[in-house]
Amino acid sequence: MNILEFHHKLKNQEVSAEDTIASYFGVIKNENLKLNAFLETFSASNGEYDTLSEAQKIDERIKKGEEPGMLCGVPLAIKDNILIKGKRATAASKILENYIASYDATVIEKLKKAGAIFLGRTNMDEFAMGSSTENSAYGPAKNPFHPDYVPGGSSGGSAVAVSSKMAMAALGSDTGGSIRQPASFCGVVGLKPTYGAVSRSGVIAMASSLDQVGPIAQTVDDAEIIFNVIRGKDALDSTSMDELNFSSEILQHTKSVRTIGVPKEYFAEGLDSRIKSVIESIIQQLEKTYEIREIELPHTKYAIACYYIIVPAEVSSNMARFDGIRYGIREKGADLIDVYKKSRGNGLGLEVRRRILLGTYVLSHGYYDAYYARAQKVRMLIKNDFMKAFQDADVIIGPTSPTLPFKIGEKSDDPLAMYLSDIYTIPVNLAGVPAISIPVGSVREDGIDFPVGAQLIAPHFAENRLFEVGKVIEKLNL
Amino acid sequence: MISEIDIEHLKDLARVEFGELETGALIHDMSSILDYVATLKEANVENVPEMTHALDMQNIVRSDENIDFTNEVAKEKIDAIIKAFPEKDEAYLKVKAIF
Repeated sequence: MNILEFHHKLKNQEVSAEDTIASYFGVIKNENLKLNAFLETFSASNGEYDTLSEAQKIDERIKKGEEPGMLCGVPLAIKDNILIKGKRATAASKILENYIASYDATVIEKLKKAGAIFLGRTNMDEFAMGSSTENSAYGPAKNPFHPDYVPGGSSGGSAVAVSSKMAMAALGSDTGGSIRQPASFCGVVGLKPTYGAVSRSGVIAMASSLDQVGPIAQTVDDAEIIFNVIRGKDALDSTSMDELNFSSEILQHTKSVRTIGVPKEYFAEGLDSRIKSVIESIIQQLEKTYEIREIELPHTKYAIACYYIIVPAEVSSNMARFDGIRYGIREKGADLIDVYKKSRGNGLGLEVRRRILLGTYVLSHGYYDAYYARAQKVRMLIKNDFMKAFQDADVIIGPTSPTLPFKIGEKSDDPLAMYLSDIYTIPVNLAGVPAISIPVGSVREDGIDFPVGAQLIAPHFAENRLFEVGKVIEKLNL
Repeated sequence: MISEIDIEHLKDLARVEFGELETGALIHDMSSILDYVATLKEANVENVPEMTHALDMQNIVRSDENIDFTNEVAKEKIDAIIKAFPEKDEAYLKVKAIF
Protein backbone atom coordinates (compact mmCIF):
# COMPACT_ATOMS: atom_id res chain seq x y z
CA MET A 1 0.00 0.00 0.00
CA ASN A 2 1.41 3.39 -0.95
CA ILE A 3 0.71 6.75 0.73
CA LEU A 4 -2.03 7.79 -1.71
CA GLU A 5 -3.88 4.46 -1.36
CA PHE A 6 -3.51 4.47 2.42
CA HIS A 7 -4.70 8.06 2.70
CA HIS A 8 -7.83 7.22 0.73
CA LYS A 9 -8.61 4.18 2.89
CA LEU A 10 -7.89 5.99 6.15
CA LYS A 11 -10.18 8.84 5.13
CA ASN A 12 -13.00 6.40 4.36
CA GLN A 13 -12.28 4.53 7.61
CA GLU A 14 -11.54 1.31 5.71
CA VAL A 15 -8.28 0.99 7.66
CA SER A 16 -7.13 2.35 10.99
CA ALA A 17 -3.77 3.96 11.69
CA GLU A 18 -3.28 1.63 14.68
CA ASP A 19 -3.78 -1.58 12.66
CA THR A 20 -1.57 -0.27 9.87
CA ILE A 21 1.30 0.56 12.24
CA ALA A 22 0.94 -2.86 13.88
CA SER A 23 1.08 -4.61 10.51
CA TYR A 24 4.30 -2.76 9.61
CA PHE A 25 5.91 -3.81 12.89
CA GLY A 26 4.88 -7.37 11.96
CA VAL A 27 6.74 -7.14 8.64
CA ILE A 28 9.78 -5.59 10.37
CA LYS A 29 9.85 -8.47 12.84
CA ASN A 30 10.01 -10.97 9.97
CA GLU A 31 12.35 -9.12 7.62
CA ASN A 32 14.73 -6.98 9.64
CA LEU A 33 16.83 -9.79 11.07
CA LYS A 34 17.77 -10.77 7.51
CA LEU A 35 18.12 -7.28 5.98
CA ASN A 36 19.38 -5.11 8.90
CA ALA A 37 17.52 -2.04 7.62
CA PHE A 38 16.47 -0.71 11.03
CA LEU A 39 18.98 -0.02 13.82
CA GLU A 40 16.10 0.52 16.24
CA THR A 41 12.33 0.40 16.03
CA PHE A 42 10.05 2.55 18.16
CA SER A 43 7.45 -0.17 18.79
CA ALA A 44 7.81 -0.32 22.55
CA SER A 45 6.57 2.77 24.31
CA ASN A 46 9.87 4.11 25.54
CA GLY A 47 10.44 7.78 26.16
CA GLU A 48 8.16 10.50 24.96
CA TYR A 49 7.52 9.19 21.45
CA ASP A 50 5.18 6.24 21.32
CA THR A 51 4.02 5.06 17.89
CA LEU A 52 0.97 3.24 19.17
CA SER A 53 -0.55 6.16 21.07
CA GLU A 54 0.22 8.50 18.15
CA ALA A 55 -1.74 6.15 15.87
CA GLN A 56 -4.61 5.85 18.36
CA LYS A 57 -4.90 9.64 18.59
CA ILE A 58 -5.17 9.85 14.79
CA ASP A 59 -7.88 7.16 14.69
CA GLU A 60 -9.90 8.97 17.34
CA ARG A 61 -9.70 12.26 15.45
CA ILE A 62 -10.87 10.60 12.24
CA LYS A 63 -13.76 8.91 14.07
CA LYS A 64 -14.84 12.35 15.25
CA GLY A 65 -15.07 13.40 11.61
CA GLU A 66 -11.74 15.15 11.16
CA GLU A 67 -10.36 15.06 7.60
CA PRO A 68 -6.85 13.53 7.75
CA GLY A 69 -3.94 15.23 6.00
CA MET A 70 -1.97 13.42 3.31
CA LEU A 71 0.69 12.12 5.72
CA CYS A 72 -1.62 11.48 8.66
CA GLY A 73 -0.88 8.04 10.12
CA VAL A 74 1.74 7.28 7.44
CA PRO A 75 4.44 4.96 8.85
CA LEU A 76 7.89 6.30 7.94
CA ALA A 77 11.46 5.09 8.42
CA ILE A 78 14.01 7.78 9.31
CA LYS A 79 17.71 7.71 8.45
CA ASP A 80 19.80 7.63 11.61
CA ASN A 81 21.47 11.01 10.95
CA ILE A 82 18.18 12.91 11.40
CA LEU A 83 17.36 13.89 14.99
CA ILE A 84 14.11 12.81 16.68
CA LYS A 85 13.79 14.33 20.15
CA GLY A 86 14.28 11.79 22.93
CA LYS A 87 15.50 9.09 20.54
CA ARG A 88 18.99 7.82 19.94
CA ALA A 89 20.73 9.25 16.85
CA THR A 90 24.03 7.53 16.07
CA ALA A 91 24.65 8.21 12.35
CA ALA A 92 25.61 4.49 12.46
CA SER A 93 28.76 5.43 14.38
CA LYS A 94 30.16 3.96 17.57
CA ILE A 95 31.13 7.40 18.84
CA LEU A 96 27.41 8.35 19.10
CA GLU A 97 26.11 4.97 20.30
CA ASN A 98 24.69 6.52 23.51
CA TYR A 99 23.68 9.91 22.06
CA ILE A 100 20.05 10.94 22.60
CA ALA A 101 18.72 13.83 20.49
CA SER A 102 17.71 16.84 22.57
CA TYR A 103 15.56 18.37 19.82
CA ASP A 104 13.69 17.52 16.61
CA ALA A 105 15.22 18.19 13.20
CA THR A 106 13.06 20.70 11.31
CA VAL A 107 12.00 17.97 8.85
CA ILE A 108 10.89 15.80 11.78
CA GLU A 109 8.95 18.68 13.33
CA LYS A 110 7.15 19.22 10.02
CA LEU A 111 6.38 15.51 9.58
CA LYS A 112 5.08 15.28 13.17
CA LYS A 113 2.75 18.21 12.53
CA ALA A 114 1.54 16.44 9.39
CA GLY A 115 0.68 13.36 11.51
CA ALA A 116 3.34 11.00 10.15
CA ILE A 117 4.44 8.18 12.44
CA PHE A 118 8.09 7.16 12.80
CA LEU A 119 8.67 3.42 12.88
CA GLY A 120 12.36 3.63 13.69
CA ARG A 121 15.79 4.78 12.63
CA THR A 122 17.52 3.18 9.68
CA ASN A 123 20.99 1.83 8.96
CA MET A 124 23.45 3.85 6.91
CA ASP A 125 27.12 4.26 6.11
CA GLU A 126 28.73 5.88 9.16
CA PHE A 127 28.07 9.65 9.01
CA ALA A 128 26.73 9.03 5.47
CA MET A 129 30.22 8.28 4.14
CA GLY A 130 29.88 5.42 1.68
CA SER A 131 27.90 4.00 -1.22
CA SER A 132 26.94 0.56 0.09
CA THR A 133 25.88 0.78 3.78
CA GLU A 134 28.84 -1.50 4.53
CA ASN A 135 30.51 1.29 6.55
CA SER A 136 27.92 1.01 9.35
CA ALA A 137 29.31 0.31 12.82
CA TYR A 138 26.23 -1.89 13.31
CA GLY A 139 26.76 -4.26 10.37
CA PRO A 140 25.80 -3.86 6.70
CA ALA A 141 22.23 -3.61 5.44
CA LYS A 142 21.37 -6.18 2.77
CA ASN A 143 19.80 -5.84 -0.66
CA PRO A 144 16.19 -7.15 -0.54
CA PHE A 145 16.62 -8.73 -4.00
CA HIS A 146 19.45 -10.89 -2.64
CA PRO A 147 21.06 -10.62 0.81
CA ASP A 148 24.60 -11.25 -0.52
CA TYR A 149 24.46 -7.92 -2.37
CA VAL A 150 24.69 -4.33 -1.12
CA PRO A 151 21.54 -2.16 -1.08
CA GLY A 152 23.57 0.91 -2.04
CA GLY A 153 24.23 3.77 0.30
CA SER A 154 24.56 5.74 2.28
CA SER A 155 20.76 5.74 2.89
CA GLY A 156 20.71 1.96 2.38
CA GLY A 157 18.54 1.15 5.41
CA SER A 158 15.83 3.60 4.30
CA ALA A 159 15.79 2.22 0.74
CA VAL A 160 15.66 -1.39 2.00
CA ALA A 161 12.84 -0.55 4.41
CA VAL A 162 10.66 0.89 1.62
CA SER A 163 11.58 -1.80 -0.92
CA SER A 164 10.80 -4.68 1.46
CA LYS A 165 7.56 -3.08 2.72
CA MET A 166 8.94 -2.50 6.23
CA ALA A 167 7.94 1.17 5.84
CA MET A 168 5.47 3.00 3.60
CA ALA A 169 8.15 5.59 2.79
CA ALA A 170 11.33 6.96 4.34
CA LEU A 171 13.68 9.90 4.72
CA GLY A 172 17.27 9.76 3.55
CA SER A 173 20.04 12.26 2.98
CA ASP A 174 22.02 12.77 -0.21
CA THR A 175 25.48 14.34 -0.46
CA GLY A 176 26.73 12.61 -3.63
CA GLY A 177 23.95 10.16 -4.47
CA SER A 178 23.07 8.69 -1.08
CA ILE A 179 19.30 8.77 -1.72
CA ARG A 180 19.24 8.08 -5.47
CA GLN A 181 21.79 5.25 -5.73
CA PRO A 182 20.24 3.04 -2.97
CA ALA A 183 16.78 3.82 -4.40
CA SER A 184 18.07 2.56 -7.75
CA PHE A 185 19.67 -0.56 -6.20
CA CYS A 186 16.46 -1.40 -4.29
CA GLY A 187 13.90 -0.59 -6.99
CA VAL A 188 12.22 2.40 -5.32
CA VAL A 189 11.88 6.16 -5.96
CA GLY A 190 14.41 8.55 -4.39
CA LEU A 191 14.42 12.36 -4.57
CA LYS A 192 17.40 14.65 -3.92
CA PRO A 193 15.82 18.12 -3.69
CA THR A 194 17.44 21.40 -4.76
CA TYR A 195 20.20 22.41 -2.33
CA GLY A 196 18.45 24.71 0.16
CA ALA A 197 14.90 23.51 -0.60
CA VAL A 198 14.78 21.45 2.61
CA SER A 199 16.15 22.57 5.99
CA ARG A 200 19.24 20.80 7.30
CA SER A 201 18.64 21.85 10.90
CA GLY A 202 18.93 18.76 13.08
CA VAL A 203 20.58 16.67 10.38
CA ILE A 204 24.06 15.45 11.35
CA ALA A 205 26.30 17.21 8.82
CA MET A 206 28.68 15.42 6.47
CA ALA A 207 29.55 17.99 3.77
CA SER A 208 27.40 21.03 4.44
CA SER A 209 27.60 22.61 0.99
CA LEU A 210 26.21 19.42 -0.57
CA ASP A 211 23.99 17.65 2.03
CA GLN A 212 20.25 17.59 1.39
CA VAL A 213 17.40 15.58 2.95
CA GLY A 214 14.80 13.93 0.73
CA PRO A 215 12.18 11.18 0.50
CA ILE A 216 12.53 7.54 -0.55
CA ALA A 217 9.13 6.24 -1.63
CA GLN A 218 7.24 3.63 -3.63
CA THR A 219 5.89 6.09 -6.21
CA VAL A 220 6.63 9.55 -7.62
CA ASP A 221 3.34 10.79 -6.15
CA ASP A 222 4.43 9.68 -2.68
CA ALA A 223 7.83 11.36 -3.01
CA GLU A 224 6.08 14.56 -4.08
CA ILE A 225 3.70 14.43 -1.09
CA ILE A 226 6.59 14.13 1.38
CA PHE A 227 8.69 16.76 -0.38
CA ASN A 228 5.82 19.26 -0.19
CA VAL A 229 5.61 18.75 3.58
CA ILE A 230 9.32 19.00 4.40
CA ARG A 231 10.37 21.80 2.04
CA GLY A 232 10.64 25.51 2.78
CA LYS A 233 12.77 28.21 4.35
CA ASP A 234 13.73 27.63 7.97
CA ALA A 235 15.14 30.26 10.32
CA LEU A 236 17.38 27.54 11.79
CA ASP A 237 19.16 26.89 8.47
CA SER A 238 20.53 30.02 6.82
CA THR A 239 21.14 28.14 3.56
CA SER A 240 17.48 27.12 3.24
CA MET A 241 15.35 29.01 0.78
CA ASP A 242 11.82 29.33 -0.55
CA GLU A 243 11.30 28.76 -4.22
CA LEU A 244 9.62 32.17 -4.43
CA ASN A 245 12.79 33.93 -3.31
CA PHE A 246 14.79 32.31 -6.06
CA SER A 247 14.91 34.25 -9.28
CA SER A 248 16.11 32.41 -12.31
CA GLU A 249 15.86 33.05 -16.00
CA ILE A 250 15.56 29.34 -16.59
CA LEU A 251 12.43 29.13 -14.44
CA GLN A 252 10.81 32.21 -16.00
CA HIS A 253 9.09 30.00 -18.54
CA THR A 254 7.94 27.26 -16.19
CA LYS A 255 5.35 25.42 -18.18
CA SER A 256 5.04 21.77 -18.89
CA VAL A 257 8.13 19.87 -19.98
CA ARG A 258 8.71 19.70 -23.74
CA THR A 259 12.35 18.77 -24.21
CA ILE A 260 14.45 16.08 -22.54
CA GLY A 261 18.23 16.20 -22.78
CA VAL A 262 20.42 13.12 -23.02
CA PRO A 263 24.02 13.80 -21.93
CA LYS A 264 26.40 11.70 -24.01
CA GLU A 265 28.90 11.69 -21.12
CA TYR A 266 26.40 9.62 -19.07
CA PHE A 267 26.39 6.83 -21.67
CA ALA A 268 30.14 6.55 -22.22
CA GLU A 269 32.70 3.97 -21.08
CA GLY A 270 32.09 2.54 -17.64
CA LEU A 271 28.32 2.12 -18.00
CA ASP A 272 27.08 -1.49 -17.86
CA SER A 273 25.80 -2.17 -21.41
CA ARG A 274 22.68 -3.89 -20.05
CA ILE A 275 21.77 -0.81 -17.98
CA LYS A 276 22.47 1.31 -21.04
CA SER A 277 19.94 -0.57 -23.14
CA VAL A 278 17.27 -0.35 -20.41
CA ILE A 279 17.68 3.44 -20.23
CA GLU A 280 17.79 3.78 -24.03
CA SER A 281 14.52 1.91 -24.40
CA ILE A 282 12.91 4.32 -21.91
CA ILE A 283 14.21 7.28 -23.91
CA GLN A 284 12.78 5.72 -27.07
CA GLN A 285 9.35 5.50 -25.46
CA LEU A 286 9.58 9.07 -24.17
CA GLU A 287 10.26 10.25 -27.71
CA LYS A 288 6.53 9.88 -28.44
CA THR A 289 5.71 12.57 -25.86
CA TYR A 290 8.83 14.75 -25.73
CA GLU A 291 11.49 16.16 -27.98
CA ILE A 292 14.74 14.32 -27.18
CA ARG A 293 17.98 16.28 -27.60
CA GLU A 294 21.58 15.22 -27.16
CA ILE A 295 23.33 17.57 -24.75
CA GLU A 296 26.84 17.93 -23.37
CA LEU A 297 28.08 18.01 -19.79
CA PRO A 298 31.79 18.17 -20.71
CA HIS A 299 33.20 18.55 -17.20
CA THR A 300 31.55 15.37 -15.88
CA LYS A 301 34.96 13.64 -16.04
CA TYR A 302 36.24 15.93 -13.25
CA ALA A 303 33.23 15.53 -10.94
CA ILE A 304 34.50 12.71 -8.73
CA ALA A 305 37.96 14.25 -8.30
CA CYS A 306 36.34 17.59 -7.45
CA TYR A 307 33.95 15.93 -4.99
CA TYR A 308 36.71 13.99 -3.22
CA ILE A 309 38.53 17.22 -2.43
CA ILE A 310 35.53 19.28 -1.34
CA VAL A 311 33.89 16.50 0.70
CA PRO A 312 36.93 15.50 2.83
CA ALA A 313 37.69 19.19 3.38
CA GLU A 314 34.18 19.79 4.75
CA VAL A 315 34.21 16.46 6.59
CA SER A 316 37.45 17.29 8.40
CA SER A 317 35.87 20.41 9.87
CA ASN A 318 32.37 18.98 10.48
CA MET A 319 33.77 15.91 12.26
CA ALA A 320 35.89 18.03 14.62
CA ARG A 321 32.90 18.21 16.97
CA PHE A 322 33.02 14.46 17.57
CA ASP A 323 35.81 14.42 20.12
CA GLY A 324 34.24 12.71 23.14
CA ILE A 325 34.09 15.93 25.14
CA ARG A 326 30.48 17.15 25.29
CA TYR A 327 28.59 14.02 24.17
CA GLY A 328 29.20 10.57 22.77
CA ILE A 329 31.78 8.03 23.87
CA ARG A 330 34.86 9.35 25.70
CA GLU A 331 37.94 7.15 26.00
CA LYS A 332 40.45 7.49 28.83
CA GLY A 333 43.75 9.17 27.97
CA ALA A 334 46.92 10.55 29.56
CA ASP A 335 46.08 14.16 28.68
CA LEU A 336 43.48 16.10 26.74
CA ILE A 337 45.06 15.51 23.30
CA ASP A 338 45.32 11.81 24.09
CA VAL A 339 41.61 11.76 25.03
CA TYR A 340 40.72 13.35 21.68
CA LYS A 341 42.91 10.97 19.69
CA LYS A 342 41.72 7.81 21.47
CA SER A 343 38.03 8.80 21.47
CA ARG A 344 38.14 9.55 17.74
CA GLY A 345 40.44 6.62 16.94
CA ASN A 346 38.14 4.09 18.64
CA GLY A 347 34.80 5.82 18.02
CA LEU A 348 35.10 6.62 14.31
CA GLY A 349 35.32 4.01 11.55
CA LEU A 350 38.14 3.75 9.03
CA GLU A 351 36.42 5.55 6.12
CA VAL A 352 35.45 8.49 8.35
CA ARG A 353 39.00 8.81 9.71
CA ARG A 354 40.45 8.46 6.20
CA ARG A 355 38.32 11.36 4.97
CA ILE A 356 39.25 13.47 8.00
CA LEU A 357 42.93 12.91 7.19
CA LEU A 358 42.45 13.64 3.47
CA GLY A 359 40.57 16.84 4.30
CA THR A 360 43.26 17.91 6.74
CA TYR A 361 45.82 17.33 3.98
CA VAL A 362 44.05 19.25 1.18
CA LEU A 363 43.34 22.20 3.48
CA SER A 364 46.84 22.41 4.94
CA HIS A 365 49.09 25.37 4.30
CA GLY A 366 50.78 25.15 0.92
CA TYR A 367 48.22 22.74 -0.55
CA TYR A 368 45.05 24.85 -0.32
CA ASP A 369 45.36 26.48 -3.75
CA ALA A 370 46.42 23.29 -5.51
CA TYR A 371 43.52 21.27 -4.14
CA TYR A 372 40.60 23.09 -2.49
CA ALA A 373 40.65 26.37 -4.46
CA ARG A 374 41.05 24.49 -7.74
CA ALA A 375 38.22 22.09 -6.85
CA GLN A 376 35.89 25.03 -6.11
CA LYS A 377 36.70 26.45 -9.56
CA VAL A 378 36.05 23.12 -11.26
CA ARG A 379 32.80 22.93 -9.28
CA MET A 380 31.78 26.20 -10.96
CA LEU A 381 32.54 24.69 -14.39
CA ILE A 382 30.35 21.67 -13.56
CA LYS A 383 27.49 23.92 -12.44
CA ASN A 384 27.86 26.02 -15.60
CA ASP A 385 27.60 22.84 -17.71
CA PHE A 386 24.15 22.23 -16.22
CA MET A 387 23.03 25.86 -16.58
CA LYS A 388 23.99 25.75 -20.25
CA ALA A 389 22.34 22.35 -20.80
CA PHE A 390 19.07 23.60 -19.28
CA GLN A 391 18.82 26.24 -21.98
CA ASP A 392 18.33 23.40 -24.46
CA ALA A 393 16.51 20.89 -22.31
CA ASP A 394 13.79 21.20 -19.63
CA VAL A 395 14.87 17.96 -17.95
CA ILE A 396 17.93 15.71 -18.29
CA ILE A 397 17.72 11.89 -18.28
CA GLY A 398 20.36 9.21 -17.75
CA PRO A 399 21.16 6.18 -15.60
CA THR A 400 21.37 6.63 -11.80
CA SER A 401 24.25 4.18 -11.37
CA PRO A 402 26.76 2.79 -13.88
CA THR A 403 26.56 -0.70 -12.32
CA LEU A 404 24.13 -3.18 -10.80
CA PRO A 405 24.31 -3.79 -7.02
CA PHE A 406 27.66 -5.38 -6.19
CA LYS A 407 28.43 -8.14 -3.70
CA ILE A 408 29.01 -7.27 -0.05
CA GLY A 409 32.78 -7.00 0.44
CA GLU A 410 33.55 -6.63 -3.28
CA LYS A 411 34.68 -3.00 -3.09
CA SER A 412 35.18 -2.46 0.62
CA ASP A 413 38.99 -2.73 0.46
CA ASP A 414 39.29 -0.27 -2.41
CA PRO A 415 37.95 3.19 -1.48
CA LEU A 416 38.62 4.64 -4.94
CA ALA A 417 36.59 1.90 -6.70
CA MET A 418 33.72 2.65 -4.29
CA TYR A 419 33.95 6.40 -5.05
CA LEU A 420 33.70 5.80 -8.81
CA SER A 421 30.26 4.21 -8.47
CA ASP A 422 28.71 7.67 -7.93
CA ILE A 423 29.77 9.21 -11.25
CA TYR A 424 26.24 10.18 -12.42
CA THR A 425 24.91 11.39 -9.08
CA ILE A 426 27.82 13.49 -7.77
CA PRO A 427 27.68 16.25 -10.45
CA VAL A 428 24.06 16.96 -9.41
CA ASN A 429 25.09 17.72 -5.80
CA LEU A 430 28.02 19.85 -6.94
CA ALA A 431 25.62 21.95 -9.04
CA GLY A 432 22.94 21.99 -6.30
CA VAL A 433 20.17 20.99 -8.73
CA PRO A 434 17.38 18.49 -7.91
CA ALA A 435 17.22 14.92 -9.25
CA ILE A 436 15.08 11.84 -8.84
CA SER A 437 15.78 8.13 -9.38
CA ILE A 438 12.87 6.06 -10.71
CA PRO A 439 12.82 2.27 -11.18
CA VAL A 440 12.55 1.54 -14.91
CA GLY A 441 13.22 -2.14 -15.35
CA SER A 442 15.60 -4.89 -14.39
CA VAL A 443 18.72 -6.74 -15.49
CA ARG A 444 19.24 -10.42 -14.74
CA GLU A 445 22.54 -11.47 -13.16
CA ASP A 446 23.41 -14.62 -11.19
CA GLY A 447 19.77 -15.61 -11.56
CA ILE A 448 18.56 -12.45 -9.81
CA ASP A 449 16.51 -9.72 -11.49
CA PHE A 450 18.17 -6.58 -10.14
CA PRO A 451 16.31 -3.28 -10.51
CA VAL A 452 17.64 -0.46 -12.69
CA GLY A 453 16.98 3.21 -11.96
CA ALA A 454 16.76 6.15 -14.35
CA GLN A 455 17.81 9.56 -13.07
CA LEU A 456 15.96 12.73 -14.05
CA ILE A 457 17.68 16.06 -13.36
CA ALA A 458 16.03 19.51 -13.40
CA PRO A 459 17.12 23.14 -12.84
CA HIS A 460 17.19 24.60 -9.30
CA PHE A 461 13.72 24.56 -7.72
CA ALA A 462 12.13 22.78 -10.70
CA GLU A 463 11.23 19.61 -8.78
CA ASN A 464 7.78 19.88 -10.40
CA ARG A 465 9.38 18.89 -13.74
CA LEU A 466 10.87 15.76 -12.13
CA PHE A 467 7.45 14.76 -10.80
CA GLU A 468 5.77 15.49 -14.14
CA VAL A 469 8.12 13.35 -16.26
CA GLY A 470 8.52 10.80 -13.46
CA LYS A 471 4.79 10.09 -13.49
CA VAL A 472 4.88 9.68 -17.28
CA ILE A 473 7.73 7.15 -16.94
CA GLU A 474 5.80 5.21 -14.28
CA LYS A 475 2.94 4.73 -16.77
CA LEU A 476 5.17 3.40 -19.55
CA ASN A 477 5.13 -0.29 -20.46
CA LEU A 478 8.41 -1.29 -18.88
CA MET B 1 53.28 10.40 -3.12
CA ILE B 2 52.41 10.82 0.53
CA SER B 3 55.06 9.68 3.02
CA GLU B 4 54.82 7.95 6.37
CA ILE B 5 56.10 11.13 8.02
CA ASP B 6 53.29 13.12 6.35
CA ILE B 7 50.73 10.61 7.63
CA GLU B 8 52.04 10.81 11.21
CA HIS B 9 51.95 14.62 11.08
CA LEU B 10 48.38 14.59 9.70
CA LYS B 11 47.25 12.25 12.49
CA ASP B 12 48.48 14.81 15.02
CA LEU B 13 46.86 17.73 13.20
CA ALA B 14 43.55 15.87 12.88
CA ARG B 15 43.76 14.45 16.42
CA VAL B 16 42.89 10.95 15.37
CA GLU B 17 44.52 7.55 15.90
CA PHE B 18 45.01 4.70 13.43
CA GLY B 19 46.21 1.17 14.16
CA GLU B 20 49.47 -0.15 12.70
CA LEU B 21 47.77 -2.20 9.97
CA GLU B 22 45.43 0.68 9.16
CA THR B 23 48.39 3.05 8.76
CA GLY B 24 50.05 0.74 6.23
CA ALA B 25 46.92 0.61 4.07
CA LEU B 26 46.44 4.34 4.57
CA ILE B 27 49.65 5.28 2.75
CA HIS B 28 48.53 3.26 -0.27
CA ASP B 29 44.89 4.42 -0.23
CA MET B 30 45.65 8.11 0.36
CA SER B 31 48.24 8.05 -2.43
CA SER B 32 45.87 6.47 -4.94
CA ILE B 33 43.10 8.93 -4.02
CA LEU B 34 45.48 11.91 -4.28
CA ASP B 35 46.79 10.65 -7.64
CA TYR B 36 43.23 10.41 -8.86
CA VAL B 37 42.16 13.89 -7.70
CA ALA B 38 45.29 15.29 -9.38
CA THR B 39 43.40 14.90 -12.70
CA LEU B 40 41.89 18.31 -11.85
CA LYS B 41 45.22 19.80 -12.95
CA GLU B 42 44.11 19.15 -16.54
CA ALA B 43 40.99 21.32 -16.19
CA ASN B 44 41.26 24.83 -17.58
CA VAL B 45 40.19 27.07 -14.69
CA GLU B 46 41.59 30.33 -16.02
CA ASN B 47 39.28 33.23 -15.08
CA VAL B 48 36.87 30.86 -13.34
CA PRO B 49 35.80 32.09 -9.88
CA GLU B 50 35.69 29.71 -6.91
CA MET B 51 32.18 28.42 -6.27
CA THR B 52 31.37 28.94 -2.64
CA HIS B 53 27.65 28.14 -2.68
CA ALA B 54 25.24 26.13 -4.81
CA LEU B 55 22.81 29.04 -5.10
CA ASP B 56 23.40 32.76 -5.45
CA MET B 57 22.03 34.14 -2.24
CA GLN B 58 22.37 37.11 0.03
CA ASN B 59 23.85 36.95 3.47
CA ILE B 60 21.23 36.44 6.14
CA VAL B 61 21.34 38.21 9.46
CA ARG B 62 18.96 37.20 12.21
CA SER B 63 17.32 39.76 14.44
CA ASP B 64 19.15 40.45 17.68
CA GLU B 65 16.55 39.15 20.09
CA ASN B 66 16.92 38.14 23.69
CA ILE B 67 16.08 34.43 24.14
CA ASP B 68 14.61 33.37 27.47
CA PHE B 69 16.55 30.42 28.91
CA THR B 70 14.76 30.38 32.26
CA ASN B 71 11.43 28.86 31.20
CA GLU B 72 10.51 25.16 31.49
CA VAL B 73 11.03 24.30 27.81
CA ALA B 74 14.52 25.81 27.82
CA LYS B 75 15.34 24.10 31.11
CA GLU B 76 14.35 20.74 29.65
CA LYS B 77 16.66 21.32 26.68
CA ILE B 78 19.54 22.36 28.92
CA ASP B 79 19.00 19.29 31.13
CA ALA B 80 19.09 17.02 28.06
CA ILE B 81 22.41 18.54 26.99
CA ILE B 82 23.93 18.17 30.48
CA LYS B 83 22.68 14.59 30.64
CA ALA B 84 24.71 13.82 27.51
CA PHE B 85 28.02 14.91 29.12
CA PRO B 86 30.40 11.92 29.24
CA GLU B 87 31.78 13.09 32.63
CA LYS B 88 30.20 15.69 34.85
CA ASP B 89 30.08 17.26 38.27
CA GLU B 90 26.45 18.38 38.70
CA ALA B 91 25.95 20.84 35.84
CA TYR B 92 29.66 21.15 35.07
CA LEU B 93 31.38 19.32 32.21
CA LYS B 94 34.54 17.56 33.38
CA VAL B 95 37.56 17.54 31.09
CA LYS B 96 41.30 16.90 31.42
CA ALA B 97 43.44 19.90 32.27
CA ILE B 98 44.29 21.90 29.16
CA PHE B 99 47.80 22.81 30.37
